[in-house]
Amino acid sequence: MEFEEVEHTADWALRVYGRDLRELLVNAARGMSYLLVSDLVTISPAVERRFELDAYDAESLLVAWLSELAYWTEAEMLVFCEFDLCQVTPVHLEAVVKGDRVPSLHKHIKAVTYHNLHIIETNDGLETTVVFDV
Amino acid sequence: MVSNRDFKRIDKYLYEVPQSFREDMLVPARFYADPELLEGALGDKSLEQLVNTATLPGIVKHALAMPDIHQGYGFPIGGVAATELPDGVISPGGVGYDINCGVRLLATHLHQEEVTPHLEDLASALYANCPSGVGKGGNIRLKRGELERLVEGGARWARDRGYATQADLERTEEGGCLEGADAGKLSQRARDRGQGQVGTLGAGNHFIEVDVVTEVFDEVAAERMGLFRDQVAVQIHCGSRGLGHQVCGDYVNRFQGAIHKYGIRLPDRELVCAPLSSPEGRDYLAAMKAAANYAFANRQVLAYHVRRSFEGVLAGKVKNYHVYQIYDIAHNMAKVEEHQVDGRRVKVCVHRKGATRAFGPGSPVLPDVYRDIGQPVLVPGSMGTASWVLVGTERSMAQTFGSTCHGAGRTMSRSKAKKTVWGADLREKLEADGIHIRAGSMAGLAEEAPVAYKDVDRVVEVVHGAGIARKVAQLRPLAVIKG
Repeated sequence: MEFEEVEHTADWALRVYGRDLRELLVNAARGMSYLLVSDLVTISPAVERRFELDAYDAESLLVAWLSELAYWTEAEMLVFCEFDLCQVTPVHLEAVVKGDRVPSLHKHIKAVTYHNLHIIETNDGLETTVVFDV
Repeated sequence: MVSNRDFKRIDKYLYEVPQSFREDMLVPARFYADPELLEGALGDKSLEQLVNTATLPGIVKHALAMPDIHQGYGFPIGGVAATELPDGVISPGGVGYDINCGVRLLATHLHQEEVTPHLEDLASALYANCPSGVGKGGNIRLKRGELERLVEGGARWARDRGYATQADLERTEEGGCLEGADAGKLSQRARDRGQGQVGTLGAGNHFIEVDVVTEVFDEVAAERMGLFRDQVAVQIHCGSRGLGHQVCGDYVNRFQGAIHKYGIRLPDRELVCAPLSSPEGRDYLAAMKAAANYAFANRQVLAYHVRRSFEGVLAGKVKNYHVYQIYDIAHNMAKVEEHQVDGRRVKVCVHRKGATRAFGPGSPVLPDVYRDIGQPVLVPGSMGTASWVLVGTERSMAQTFGSTCHGAGRTMSRSKAKKTVWGADLREKLEADGIHIRAGSMAGLAEEAPVAYKDVDRVVEVVHGAGIARKVAQLRPLAVIKG
């Protein structure tokens, strides 16, 4: 499983899985896109964005990564479907992401929070739960 | 988890988790509730989050929660925490992402029967004139350098642009402008997000509502405010939009480093904070004030659109369509105030996250018109239910750093609400109750269904019974406009 939605009284939360940090980041991004449009198959990789991010640690990197994507969604109604990450370390990543503009969104993600955010190691790799302020 | 045996009842509506409950608590945690609301609070992590706020360096007296408490992130929604200057901390999570989310109450000279024939048109005009919904920009284009003037001037910027009257400013918390806002403390991205969203409602739980005053409980206070039974009024609920969200995100991120620098240990990273005397703390305060001023300006421009809508629909059809301001209050804010703590008069930074300032009679910061009755407090209900106008009291000054509840408070997650309620069914039910609905998204409507919220009347009963606010009037919705 890549991700699943979990109950949170005030906001939205996603539990995300990945074999390594790169995959965890990609699956978290896919989960967030799913919250925005439900069906990623309808999104074509027509628009590209490239960026680099630095952070204090892996959790901060996850927040920065999702916040960057959420920014483009708010600014240009862009929803992403392809995520190419390279040079991933717990404090740095370089990304090429592709997606398309959409006419409407299910959800406005105001922010990605640090609330109880821990990336934990499991037998299958990594797992975390991200809470979004919506 | 906090359970029944971890707290004691110290008054009819007041409970306390003692400092001894957890080693890292610096003060006890107190919350206002009745038995049913208490049951609800025990059902999620909100009391644990309240206990977490009792660990903030410099916190004085108690960590507090109002009866509309529910689980947030970091702080609980409905939380109040005061930290002592100069070295107490300020926490962006204690304000929230929607800095100066708040409520404005406008009123008219009209009785319900005069407006009823035009309600349908009025709802449509408000929906058309007040931009709402995800990603919807406003119709104000800011010139070069104008965003800086806006965030440093707040509602004064709106007055200078012709969107506000002097009376509007006088009837707004802090006159609609927090002194000390600094546009230089905003990131480029915060500015970009703020550029096109002035005068927009957004989505989520934000709304514009046409209401009728159904009950008056305090004739003197109601008359002073200009409220009367059967009167048509309007509420605007929204905040600082993308600019505020970005400010909070930027500083929560920056403070991840600051907590190591200042040796602060916290149970949740969302509580990150920095001493108010530190460069990081001062920068956040100045940026938060800029975002707060953006929100004051935003609600002011929306009020202008409301007036335009009333004029457009009612001119020539009713004698007086004038819309005047009752008050505008914040319910996500941190403010430096003076309060009495253990017999001392001290300067504290009061974080109110999902809590409303409720200053009692005599407070010098209140406008002349309200000084002897206390500050108006606006408590919106969930969609389709009552809303309330209260006033602050001497007891709120003594017990809660001049604070009270802010609304109904959620009890059900958005995803569960969506599974439980169909937006179209809800709309039909509300319309059958005589409430006109204009909403951009049926799924969004379902998430805000009344069943997902606590009973606002019960919340108000607790703050009134506990004496930390007093009932003035009750409102009922006639039309709801949502993104």
